[in-house]
Amino acid sequence: MNGNSEPGTGNRALMLVAVVAALFVASTAHAQAQTGTYVIRGGTVVPVVGARIPNGTVVISGGKIQAVGANVQAPQGATVIDATGLFVYPGMIDSGTELGLTEIGSVPGSTDTREIGDFNPQDVALTAVNAHSELIPVTRVNGVTTVITSANGALMSGAAALVDLWGWTPDEMAIKPRVAQVMSYPSSGGGGGRGGGFGQRPQGDASETASRQVRAMRDFFADARAYAEVKAKLGAGGSVPNAPRVNQAMESLVPAIRGEMPIIFDVNTIDQIRGVLALADSFKLKVILRGPRDAWRVADTLAARNIPVIVGPTTQAPGSDDPYDALYAQPGVLAKAGVKIAFQTSGASDARDLPYNAALATAYGLDMDEAIKALTINPAQIFGVADRYGSLEAGKVANVMVTTGNPLDVRSNVKFLFIRGEQVPLTDRHTKLYEQFKARPKP
Amino acid sequence: MRRGLGTGDWGLGLLGFAALLVGSPANGQAGGAQPPAAAPAPNAQPPALDLTAVSLPIPAAGRLVAITNATIMTASNGTIEKGTIVIRDGKIAAVGADVQVPAGAKVIDGTGKYVTPGIIDAHSHSAAEAINEGTLSITSMVRIEDVLRQDGISLYRQLAGGTTTLNILHGSANTIGGQNAVVKLRYGLPVDSLMFEGAPPGIKFALGENVRQTNRNLQPGQQGRFPRTRMGVEDLLRDAFTRAQEYRRDWQQYDAKKKAAKSAADRAALIPPVRDLELDALVEVLEGKRLVHCHSYRADEILMMLRVAKDFGFRVATFQHVLEGYKVADELAKAGSGASTFADEWAYKMEAWDAIPYNAALMAQRGVVVTINSDSDERARRLYQEAAKAMHYGGASEQEALKMITLNAAKQLGIDKRVGSIEVGKDADLAIFTAHPFAPNARVDLTLIDGRVFFDRSTSPTLEQLIEQMKQRRPRVASEDE
Repeated sequence: MNGNSEPGTGNRALMLVAVVAALFVASTAHAQAQTGTYVIRGGTVVPVVGARIPNGTVVISGGKIQAVGANVQAPQGATVIDATGLFVYPGMIDSGTELGLTEIGSVPGSTDTREIGDFNPQDVALTAVNAHSELIPVTRVNGVTTVITSANGALMSGAAALVDLWGWTPDEMAIKPRVAQVMSYPSSGGGGGRGGGFGQRPQGDASETASRQVRAMRDFFADARAYAEVKAKLGAGGSVPNAPRVNQAMESLVPAIRGEMPIIFDVNTIDQIRGVLALADSFKLKVILRGPRDAWRVADTLAARNIPVIVGPTTQAPGSDDPYDALYAQPGVLAKAGVKIAFQTSGASDARDLPYNAALATAYGLDMDEAIKALTINPAQIFGVADRYGSLEAGKVANVMVTTGNPLDVRSNVKFLFIRGEQVPLTDRHTKLYEQFKARPKP
Repeated sequence: MRRGLGTGDWGLGLLGFAALLVGSPANGQAGGAQPPAAAPAPNAQPPALDLTAVSLPIPAAGRLVAITNATIMTASNGTIEKGTIVIRDGKIAAVGADVQVPAGAKVIDGTGKYVTPGIIDAHSHSAAEAINEGTLSITSMVRIEDVLRQDGISLYRQLAGGTTTLNILHGSANTIGGQNAVVKLRYGLPVDSLMFEGAPPGIKFALGENVRQTNRNLQPGQQGRFPRTRMGVEDLLRDAFTRAQEYRRDWQQYDAKKKAAKSAADRAALIPPVRDLELDALVEVLEGKRLVHCHSYRADEILMMLRVAKDFGFRVATFQHVLEGYKVADELAKAGSGASTFADEWAYKMEAWDAIPYNAALMAQRGVVVTINSDSDERARRLYQEAAKAMHYGGASEQEALKMITLNAAKQLGIDKRVGSIEVGKDADLAIFTAHPFAPNARVDLTLIDGRVFFDRSTSPTLEQLIEQMKQRRPRVASEDE
């Protein structure tokens, strides 16, 4: 039944209330979910961290993975999931989406992905995440259990949320309500797509605009740094003459200025990447590059500086002067150079294609195991939740999928899905319409 | 493992030769595409293959190639393990497990490789200078063929995904759009060589939001264009075809009078009807000589189009996109209309809200000839992955999924006697993959059209190669050498 309590906050009385409540709420998909104790056995377990276990067992209870191994005792009363001939993987993580923030692309009333103005670091994406978006079940039935979702396209678009694709409310879905700031580094053209969206004007005009925007961005960070210093002094009991008033935008940047919160920079070209690196040096920022076309040009530098790169979508045309396979091959080049990579779809309706984005990279040089990591443990590490997410290990949140094969293989299907230890029904808007019209009588 | 020039396991030198020596000439084949007037004689010792050359001479026919020991996915007769394909004069001369390699044939070792028919994209907007003549609601007089160009790198990148034939359609700005062009991706040859010789002509129609222009913001003072509703779209179609019928009758009457005329003077006294290029194309539709490819989304508008077509006595060859085709699959099958859809696109506009990825499989189950198309230069590079989605969603068989990007597309375009499957007598349009085309790590290494190599990864500039070159060009610091 329902539940959806945060892992580790289980309270028997509350659970009971939730179960009873769920009995009366039969109209949503959540009501069909089953929490409890599960033992998945007979399948090939791919824990991601550590070797695969043929004929392995995974025990789920209380929302968590209790045990993983070849010789694991099944607890009494556990529901048995027969995974013979199947594969057990951790749920996949999409490191860049607009899920919950948009429903139908061309209907402005259904989208909350872009605020007015260039500087909105105080905006919090989680606020506008529609937990009941039809796009959410469509995404998770393919095994994508966790996503980064955010507004984007402005110089500073606000805080991204790390959420599980499961929950009655945005707060219930949230793993980290403010996991990172999302920014676009100004582009002097040659862009296209996210992070390059400022580049559609004529070259001269655009580079002028870009340099103005870079200056504005630096000014903003300088203000935020000063604000953080004042705040630190005041916090330490000191006094500051003419201390500034509380400013929401500045407040929201303090964790980033202190290096406690990473900044996802949507970038494309090598100029933008170099700009971000310079900005990171100036203000001691912890940065993550997302969606770059040119990261392969500085792979060694990024590896040496421990800057993670969120690659993708690989399903984009490369730059007109780039080799035909540039975007397919880039993830492999980065991984081989020692850069930590993760994948994004950058979309919403197509987030279910996450593993197929990675598949294209494996055809052009990315090692298959690395690709799986880039969908699981790597993003968990990049976003600071590797103690709870990203692999099948005892103690971690039970986001688990049981598949007929390699999840990167389009021909594979998800057979069983668990999010936070609840068995999630593999139904969505599309399966419902399919069943409905498959049953249409011949006219 | 790097595949440097001349080190590839494909036997590079050999393929370089194959590319130039093997192949069917465009000359001698029916249709609009003509080779350059002075096609030079084949050179016995050709220079290294340069696909980027703007104008490569078309070689003479008569050469022989064999692809050996490959897994051959025929699209029509299942899969042949350890099979051989013999190509003669650009056509498939033999295919099977027990086929002998003829003496003198250039051999492509297909060990460990998968060969499929060249992929056919049933909905493309590549290689055209312009896509939409959108000022009027009826533009049946304009032709994509007139604005074809060698679209540079984009066509090459599609070849790199195994795609060999495109149905280049006019856009969807208006209800009756322009005439299409079916092309082969003969990249690097003069633009005239692109046209698929003898492919039946077609025309683009469009219904729904795009032609209603409801997603478009009118500028102040700008007038909306008729039609604005789906009722208006039907009205426009019926009006156009009524005029086409009358126009045809006028010509028929004129022709009859001309025939009946007793003398040359009587004949000369007859005044012919005014020639109307817009209606000429619609008369061809009425007479079944021009295939209608109709952009559509919702079930209701699909049914409307079927009714109009029935009333005027023609068949809609394909519905394009047809995202709600699964709701009226029986009606589509009964009308004999094909369906060409996206694998899993949805939710990008209101009329795509009921789109489901099971569409292709469900329509196929109900007897519709289904294809999965790109409508995008980018997606056209990986249609093999898109096709596999028909297996993921709805459980299409492997061969059914493969047909959705090969043989079915050929059928929809009326070119299935020439392409779409690996069968004796068909054009040697082939894609050679490093793994099963639906496997996650599958990559195209070689693409042939008319038996000629138009893409060869081992001689193509790749990212890996570029990085290697950049490393070598990097200035050295003296201490590094010590």
